[in-house]
Amino acid sequence: MSRSATFSDLARRFAGGVGLTAFLAVGPAASARVLLTQEEALASAFPSCTVERTTIYLTPAESARAAELAEDEPPSGVVFVYRATCGGVFGGTAYFDHHRVRTLAETVMVVVTPDGKVGRVEVLAFDEPVEYLPRDAWYDQFEGRPLDDELRLKAAIRPVTGATLTARATTAAVRRVLALHRVLGERKPAP
Amino acid sequence: MKIRPTIGLCGLILTLVLGSLPTSPLWAAEDPATAARLTELERQIAELRAQLAGGSDAAPTPDAAEIARRLDLLAAELERLKLGEVAVEANTSLYGYGPAASKVYRKAQGFSIGGYGEMLYESPNARRDNGSASGRRAEIDFLRAVVYFGYKWNDRIVFNSENEIEHATTGGGTGEASVEFAHVDYLARPEVNVRAGLLLVPMGFVNELHEPTVYLGAKRPDVERVILPATWRENGFGLFGEAGPVSYKVYVLNGFRGEGFTAGGLRGGRQKGGRALAEDWAVVARLDYVPWTGVTLGASGYVGDAGQGTTDSAGAIGAGLTIFEGHAEWRWRGLEVRALVTRAELDDVARLNRKLGLGPTASIGETLSGSYVQLGYDVLAGRGAAQLIPFVRAERYDTQDAVPAGFARNPANDVESLTFGLAWKPFEQFVVKADFQDYDNGAGTGVDQFNVAIGYVF
Repeated sequence: MSRSATFSDLARRFAGGVGLTAFLAVGPAASARVLLTQEEALASAFPSCTVERTTIYLTPAESARAAELAEDEPPSGVVFVYRATCGGVFGGTAYFDHHRVRTLAETVMVVVTPDGKVGRVEVLAFDEPVEYLPRDAWYDQFEGRPLDDELRLKAAIRPVTGATLTARATTAAVRRVLALHRVLGERKPAP
Repeated sequence: MKIRPTIGLCGLILTLVLGSLPTSPLWAAEDPATAARLTELERQIAELRAQLAGGSDAAPTPDAAEIARRLDLLAAELERLKLGEVAVEANTSLYGYGPAASKVYRKAQGFSIGGYGEMLYESPNARRDNGSASGRRAEIDFLRAVVYFGYKWNDRIVFNSENEIEHATTGGGTGEASVEFAHVDYLARPEVNVRAGLLLVPMGFVNELHEPTVYLGAKRPDVERVILPATWRENGFGLFGEAGPVSYKVYVLNGFRGEGFTAGGLRGGRQKGGRALAEDWAVVARLDYVPWTGVTLGASGYVGDAGQGTTDSAGAIGAGLTIFEGHAEWRWRGLEVRALVTRAELDDVARLNRKLGLGPTASIGETLSGSYVQLGYDVLAGRGAAQLIPFVRAERYDTQDAVPAGFARNPANDVESLTFGLAWKPFEQFVVKADFQDYDNGAGTGVDQFNVAIGYVF
């Protein structure tokens, strides 16, 4: 059959073409690495700003309060906060959250705006297979969201088919960060 | 940008926190190097505590500024341990990528493991739609027990596999052990990556995402088992990637083995990667478009021969096969809607029928078609981890939409079904599903059934 022969020939020719394309597309770049470090993430969130890292030690009451607000486990007693000053003006705060997705870990940076809402969420490390990583646009859903009942999967945050565990873990991380930020904001200034 | 550390003086709190490090679940599995760093941290803390308490004779007591400096160093070390590789200085050769574009699958090196499983209870009606005895009995089956193994050589080259035992045993011919996929990926850049090995054919919703917590219903949709024969995997290689709202996959695979086709569909023609005949190859391509988060529109196509060297008196039987599929999904709050339509066309069916000795109503379909629509709503959406999802799914398929001249369609292969039920997930990785399926076919021999399933992923 002429059609059958055409299919077979097309497939074989296509296979060769794909192989050649793959080699040309990725071969020259094989020695490069793509990493997003903490410093790169902060630089992308706060360009031309001075970022000050502060180590904060939570009291047991503060840990309990943060857990209550986040509806999650109590946070670590040591918190690392990155506050940005841009042109003499407070530009926001960044936190890093390291958590398990399925069996492996993800690290995200959550930037909180001066008014206590999510500025951006950035993935720094994702150890699960890449199929479980939502698209960039999914993370954009968090922008401008405060800590409230809407900040949940299947509420204001839409789920992702095939990456539900990542979506749930990331949403929980953002809630943890906003809860922590609120607790730190409730601290009375030192006399 | 410049990062400046500031210092807190709560040494005892830090000591307590650092003392609890080994109990942290994410750190507990770290390597010996991490354990050594923790030990060193503990030693330094003990030294600091001793100095705070009055000090040893061997070393002079440091002043408050020195203690604060050391605490800051320890805090920085603690953060590095928490963040792992992220805190390490990067090789920033990114071919012009901004950091925001640099989201990559990265684990330094080593194994990964995961898995899923499902158990299914099926209770069919004792009677067919026409009142005759169905002859079927209730059955409970540990349908699948699956383990994923992966290995990462470096940030670029990753292996992943799915290894499955179906029906709990391979003894007595009731079950089988299979590799569902096993491939090596070369992750070059988000837009272009290379994959080779035993690949899942990227058509429809379920073939690639077939874990029981992902789809509604105790059983997978019939259209994605009969017309698109999930779990459908073949050996090959190809490209995949995404750019903005668009993602794609293009694979070259060994084709079906047409001698396995039946009146019931293409399923028997899968070669599953084991000593697959490779006389004929196929190309499959898939494109998905996400215009808004929660909305996916996609399509895929498959073109290839299934003859694999089969001959008759007229020569080689090509058995060219073309399959098209379109799908759409909308997820908004608790709502999830899916729709899929597919159609397959096969050449040389009359010759294949004669070659296989198939009778007048047992012809392989020259055209096969199917579609379904599914609607579910999580009534617990936004209230926590638990989910309770009533759902309904309407399906239609015909494995003999058209047959060659000289053969007749069997109306029993023209099927409509309505499935409605409930899925309950107490947490994301475990599901209990129950549903009822009302089957109708053109011959009036449909058998309704009730199903219950449990499924897990880890």
